[in-house]
Amino acid sequence: MTQKTTYDIAIIGGGIMGCATALQVTQGGMSAIVLDQGDLGQGASGVNAGTLSLQIKRVKLMPYALKGHYLWEQMGDAVGFAKTGGYTLAFNGREADMLQERQTLKAQAGAPIEFVSNNRLRAAEPNLTQKVEAASFCAEDGYANSSLTGQYYRGRLRDAGIPYREGCKVTAIDRDAGFALHTNSEPIYATRILLAAGAWLKPLAALLGVDLPVNARVNTVSVTERMPHLMGSVIGHATGLLTMKQKANGTVLIGGGWQGLGTPQDRRGTVNADTVKPNLALAQYAVPALATARVTRSWTGFEANVPDFYPLAGALPGVPDAYVLGCVRGGYTIGPYIGQLMGDSILGKEPEMPLFDPGRDFEKDTI
Amino acid sequence: MSDHYDIAVVGAGPAGGTAAVTAAKAGLRVVVLDEQPKAGGQVWRAKSASIRSAPKTPETTAGDGLRRTLANSDATLLSDTRVWDIRRTGDTWQLQILRGGQSEQINARALILATGAREYVQPVPGWTTPGVIGLAGATALFKQSLTLPGKRTVISGTGPLVFYVASEIRRLGGTVTAVVTPNTRTDWARALPSMVSQPRLLARGGLWMADLMLARVPILWGHGVSAVEGTDHVTAIHTRNLKTTGTGPTFDADSLCLGHGLIPNIEAAQMLGVAIHHDPALGGWVPDADPDGATQVAGLYLCGDGCGIRGVTAAGLQGTLTGARAARDLGKAAPAPALQSWHRAARFGQAMTRLSIPTPQLAALSTDDTILCRCESLTRADISAEIDTGAASTNAVKSGRRAGMGPCGGKYCQTAIAALIAAQTGKTAADIPPSTPRPPLRPVPLGQAVGDFDYDDLPIPKPAPL
Amino acid sequence: MIRLVPNHADQIERSEKVKFTFDGQPIEGHAGESLVSALLRANALTLRHAPNDAAPRGAFCCMGLCQECAVLVAGQVVEACRTDVAANLIVERV
Repeated sequence: MTQKTTYDIAIIGGGIMGCATALQVTQGGMSAIVLDQGDLGQGASGVNAGTLSLQIKRVKLMPYALKGHYLWEQMGDAVGFAKTGGYTLAFNGREADMLQERQTLKAQAGAPIEFVSNNRLRAAEPNLTQKVEAASFCAEDGYANSSLTGQYYRGRLRDAGIPYREGCKVTAIDRDAGFALHTNSEPIYATRILLAAGAWLKPLAALLGVDLPVNARVNTVSVTERMPHLMGSVIGHATGLLTMKQKANGTVLIGGGWQGLGTPQDRRGTVNADTVKPNLALAQYAVPALATARVTRSWTGFEANVPDFYPLAGALPGVPDAYVLGCVRGGYTIGPYIGQLMGDSILGKEPEMPLFDPGRDFEKDTI
Repeated sequence: MSDHYDIAVVGAGPAGGTAAVTAAKAGLRVVVLDEQPKAGGQVWRAKSASIRSAPKTPETTAGDGLRRTLANSDATLLSDTRVWDIRRTGDTWQLQILRGGQSEQINARALILATGAREYVQPVPGWTTPGVIGLAGATALFKQSLTLPGKRTVISGTGPLVFYVASEIRRLGGTVTAVVTPNTRTDWARALPSMVSQPRLLARGGLWMADLMLARVPILWGHGVSAVEGTDHVTAIHTRNLKTTGTGPTFDADSLCLGHGLIPNIEAAQMLGVAIHHDPALGGWVPDADPDGATQVAGLYLCGDGCGIRGVTAAGLQGTLTGARAARDLGKAAPAPALQSWHRAARFGQAMTRLSIPTPQLAALSTDDTILCRCESLTRADISAEIDTGAASTNAVKSGRRAGMGPCGGKYCQTAIAALIAAQTGKTAADIPPSTPRPPLRPVPLGQAVGDFDYDDLPIPKPAPL
Repeated sequence: MIRLVPNHADQIERSEKVKFTFDGQPIEGHAGESLVSALLRANALTLRHAPNDAAPRGAFCCMGLCQECAVLVAGQVVEACRTDVAANLIVERV
């Protein structure tokens, strides 16, 4: 008769959030298992544009973002990290005002952001349009290769001896002296659980009778074939609605949160030609030479959020020994760090920075 | 010209062209979209404008027939048109197209996908050398340009295309250095009963064989190309006896036509939500569709080789069936031909397809150093190493190594990569589905896809929360 | 020698020859044929060099899918198998 294994914690969701937490709690001596309905890191963690830009982080999340940047730099080549510096552009007076207001607040929150003259911009990025009204710069900005997330964490979990199950969907959760997770394969038993399923948090929490107000935005990213050198920095827009970077292999990645279609229930979203076209138009406006670049692929990823667009990080309301981590605005940047904080909290330690109470009133400005 | 139609047909080959003509005859407003300058698809590809006159072949005659019928019908043919995205909004299919460098949108109530097939080529050392073209690629070159791939050509592959290409090269005045086919005479003997229903094809094939033998062209049965020699052009072709795995003859050649069967172009159907299943006798992964083209997706129909390699005769018949079905679903009377003839034609087509079902001996022609993903120059060893790290799906291998992220979108590597994943993880090909297809369906220049725009007209949404 | 498949080479009439350039090299082709066809006949087989290993590559699928024949015409990357020869066309390697 086989002894059933009861893990100290079962983590549902094998993206950056879940894996970073797993690594932290394991370092603190807990036994963990990570479950993912698909491959590790193929949710938002693996399909986003890879932008690591302090200039698009929320003011109150800036301290977390700074720590996140540091961790990404440590991960280095294994995740295709590059610190290129980044420029944010304003093309008219209204955007220039927006840029001034927003970037000033972000700089005050700790990001090394400065405003730059047109001459300096032109010297740094000669292929940018002439029609720039104002621009800001942050030397800390750059990117990583989100496609490598799954491979990276698979390796980290293996090295740490943390078991994981891919293609493992949790279908029901029983609570009876711990948790019994029913899946499409074997049942998993654990003393604690962490819900880290990103865009799938709502139906997952519902298995425990908890209603989390999680919505999923459907962000679109496009990539071109290899191009001659067009830009060396990460390029952004005053509204946050364009991100652009040219990778070392010459391909140009274009994002900015333009909305595709579909819901997490559909498993995959679909690209909406009506939004990908203006997204690409904005990119071409910023770098006119992109007009001849052939787009080889566009795709969408689900980005989970709650009504106040701040993270869920802490105890799952009403369920002892259950935690939730997700919906971080800038989750790719902040994920590796907030996973550490979450792990520490689960271990019973005081996290280095405050977490974000999932039981808060989302209508009020509580953060 | 309005851009609202009852039915949009993607692909003006034997299946799509016939479907369009059938639906138009039923009184519906039909548009057919095709990348090529003329209708005909691959098998009935039209000659380019550079050919003023040339002797006709059965394919030319059949193709001219389809082109004439289409021109005489009320269906609108949009050629030189690249479809790059398709989406359903409510009851309308919206197709994003590029024509003459301009972006346009086609709207239709129903959609018929007749996307045809491409070929599978088993990667072998040196298969990326200039001068190596696909077997089906060779037929495209011959039909469109009547141009030879070289002066001394080795032709290698499975199925009837090998002999067709050999005969075409001789007909165009070229030299066939050798025919190298993994198929054995027994393989062909097994396929013979199904060929009885196609006496003209049987006779034609017999003529090709007799001609090759009279010309003393070496035909190596049960052999495969084991390596292509040459750096920037082909200098020699090495072969292997696939049964004994012993070295076969080496041929001095300056070109190689290489191909191992056709695989359906399923990307558009997959992207639009049609389920797929694996059937080696139909070319591998095929979308779920009824004989009359109906799928689980309302208003979406599939016909021709794009939903299973059943050959040109079956494709034309299925085009009629599907055009009729789509027309009836839109409330028009349209007679449907008997399914019997389609089944009969399909049986023959599938017997030909079976000759190209991958075998372990064929797969063994790829070595560790052989490039599997041409776009990214990734070798079998590269992919194998990625699978060893735990990547057990085509998506995971794609994400980890970029295999399938290049400009061809995985069209020429995914089958071999899936086979490798299966072999290495102890699964079968049916367990390893293709990676998620994404738009654009073909590479499109950004500026053309976007079209003219005024910055102030861009629907820039509200800024992100601060 | 008896040929059961006739040689039709002499019965093919092609359009007028025109001159274009490929990476500066003068090439003769027939108006309206594909660039791949003309370049093959002129024995200009290497159309580009692969990323990562710079290996020479040429036309492969001949039907607009594999992207091995990608070349530059008027600053735009196009598929040479789907682009027609025209007099004085300037074609360059990517």
